[in-house]
Amino acid sequence: MSKTFVVAEMALREIARRRGVLAILLIFPLAFYLSRRDSHAGQSIRFVCLGIGWAMSTAALFAGSAARAVEPRLRLSGYRSSHLYLGRLAALWTVGLLLSAPYYVLIRIDQEHIRYGAIALIMLLTVAVAAPFGLALSAALPRELEGMLVLLIVVGLQMMMDPAGSASRLLPFWFSREIGTYAVDHTDGGYLTRGLIHAVVCLAALLAVVAVASGYRLRQRSHLRFVARR
Amino acid sequence: MRHDTWLDALAGELRRHGVAEQTAGNVLAETAAHLWESGDDPLRAFGPPQAYAATVAESVRPEPPRRAPGGPVLLEVVGITKRYGRRTVLREVSLAVRAGEVAAVVGANGSGKSTFLGICAGLVSPDRGEVRVHGSLGYCPQGGGTSDFLVPDEHFLLVGAGRGMSRADARDTGRAGAAALDWDPRGGTQARHLSGGTRQKLNLVLAGLGDPDVLLLDEPYQGFDQGSYLDFWQQVRRWRDAGKAIVVVTHLLNTRDGVDTVLDLTPRGRA
Amino acid sequence: MELERRSQWLRGVLDLCVLGVLAHRESYGYELIQSLHAAGLDGIQGGTLYPVLLRLQRGGQVVAHWREGGSGPARKYYRITPAGTETLRRSAADWEAFAGGVSAILREVAAR
Repeated sequence: MSKTFVVAEMALREIARRRGVLAILLIFPLAFYLSRRDSHAGQSIRFVCLGIGWAMSTAALFAGSAARAVEPRLRLSGYRSSHLYLGRLAALWTVGLLLSAPYYVLIRIDQEHIRYGAIALIMLLTVAVAAPFGLALSAALPRELEGMLVLLIVVGLQMMMDPAGSASRLLPFWFSREIGTYAVDHTDGGYLTRGLIHAVVCLAALLAVVAVASGYRLRQRSHLRFVARR
Repeated sequence: MRHDTWLDALAGELRRHGVAEQTAGNVLAETAAHLWESGDDPLRAFGPPQAYAATVAESVRPEPPRRAPGGPVLLEVVGITKRYGRRTVLREVSLAVRAGEVAAVVGANGSGKSTFLGICAGLVSPDRGEVRVHGSLGYCPQGGGTSDFLVPDEHFLLVGAGRGMSRADARDTGRAGAAALDWDPRGGTQARHLSGGTRQKLNLVLAGLGDPDVLLLDEPYQGFDQGSYLDFWQQVRRWRDAGKAIVVVTHLLNTRDGVDTVLDLTPRGRA
Repeated sequence: MELERRSQWLRGVLDLCVLGVLAHRESYGYELIQSLHAAGLDGIQGGTLYPVLLRLQRGGQVVAHWREGGSGPARKYYRITPAGTETLRRSAADWEAFAGGVSAILREVAAR
C-alpha cells in the first residue's frame, strides 16, 4: 500500500513540474468551452467535458511515456507493476479532479436550468476514464507522437460522429454526450443509465488494458530466477 | 605555486587514489620537508599533484595479495544464447561470480556486452540459457534509469521505498553514495537539468541503493571526469569488500582495477 | 644530452644508483639527490626520486625511519637492508656485463 502511495506522490510531483502539461490541462477545456459558448447550452458543456477528457488523456499519455525509462529499475527495486500503474493513476485522477473543479464552478455560474449533479458526474467519469485511456495508449504505443495522433482521431470522431449511431459507442467518451443530454435537455433517466453503464464498461476495459500491458512489459522473465540467500 | 596549495591538492589526490591515511601522511611530511630544504618550486620538482599522486599510489600499492577464495556464488549465468534475426550475438555464454568478486565483461563494440547485461538483469529474454541470482539485484544501464522531472532526493526516496527503506534512510544512504562519487545531490535540480556525467552518478547511486547482493554495471562512468572515474572504481572495491558480486561492462580495463574474472565477448574468428 | 633518452636510461638504473649510495651510509631524500649529483647524475627531481624510494621500501630493499632534523622539519632516513645489498651486488655484476657490451660498440663510433 505504501509503495503505491510513494509512486503516486512522485507522479504528482512530476506532473506539477511539467508546466506545459499543466497549461494544456487548464487552458484547453476553456478554449473548447468558449468556442461553443454562444450556441446551444448543451454544446458548450459537451465541448468542455470533451476538452477535459482530451487534456487529461494527453497528460496521462505523457506521464506514462516518461515513466518508461525508470520503470524497469523500479521493478528491480521491488515494486510490482500494479504498484506502478495504480500509483500513477491515483496521481492522475487527483490532478484531474482538482483541475475539473473550476470548470464545474464555471458551468454552475454561467449556465442555468442544468442538472448540475449530472454535470459533476460527467466530469468525474471523464477524468476516471481519461487517465487509464492515456496510460493505455502509452503502454501500447512506443512513442508519444503516435499516442497523440490516436487521441486527435478519437476526439475528432467524438465531435463529428452522430451519438445515436451504434458505432459511436465504441468511443471512450460517448457517455459524456449521453449524460450531457440528460443534464441539459432534461430527458428521462434512460440516458443517464446508458451513459453510466458505458462509462463503467470503458473504465473497466481500459484498466484491464493498462494492467495487462504493464504486466507484460515489466514481467518477470522466465530465464531469470531469484534464489533466496541463506 | 605556493607550497601549501600544492600540498593540499596532493593530500586530496592521495586520498582519492585510496592511499592509506598513515602512508599519505608520511609522503606529505617527506615532500614538505624536501620542499623546505631544497627551496624548489613544487610543480618543477614534483609535477602536478594529480600525476604525482598517481605515481605515488602505484609505488605504494602492495603487490596484488593472494586474496582468499571468494564466498558463495551469487550470480550464475549458464549457456546464454541470443539471436537477433539471423545474427547470433551471444553464443553459449556462461559466467559465475562469487561474493566479494568483480567480473569485467569486455569485447569490441557490438559484441553484445550490453545485451548480455540486460539479460542478466531480466530486461531482455535470451533464446536459451538461464540466470540465477542469489539475493537481490541492482542494475545500472549506460544511460536512462532516471526520471526527468524528479530531483535526486526524490529518486532516492522512490527507489528506497521499493527496497523497503524508510524515507530518512533512503535519503541519507543516497546522499552518502553521491558523496563517494564526489557529488552533492542537494539543491533540488531536476534530473533533466543535471549534466550527463552527474546524471550517470545518480544512476549509479540508485543501482546500489538498498544494498543489493549482485550489481550489474554497464559502463556506468559515461561522462565522468578522471577523478570521478577513480572514485567509481573505489566504490566498486568497497562494494566488493562488502561481499557483493559485481559485473562491470567496460572497454577501458586497467589491470590495476582489481578484477577477478574477465569475460571476453569478442567473437572468435573475427579479430 | 637528449632528455627523452636520458630519462629512459635513468628509469632503468636509478633504483640501483640509490641503493649504491645507501650502501655507503644511510641518507634522506634531498641528501640523496645531492649525492647523486656529486657522482655525476644531476637534475634528478624529487618527483622522480621519492617514488623510487617508496618502491624500494615496498620491495624490502630499504627500510626507513624518521629522525629529528635539527634546524628544520623531521627527515625520513633510508637504510639498505641485506636484501637490498644482495640485489645491488647482483645487479652491479649484471650492469658490468651489459654496459661493457654497449661501450664496446659505441667506443668505436666515438673513436672514428
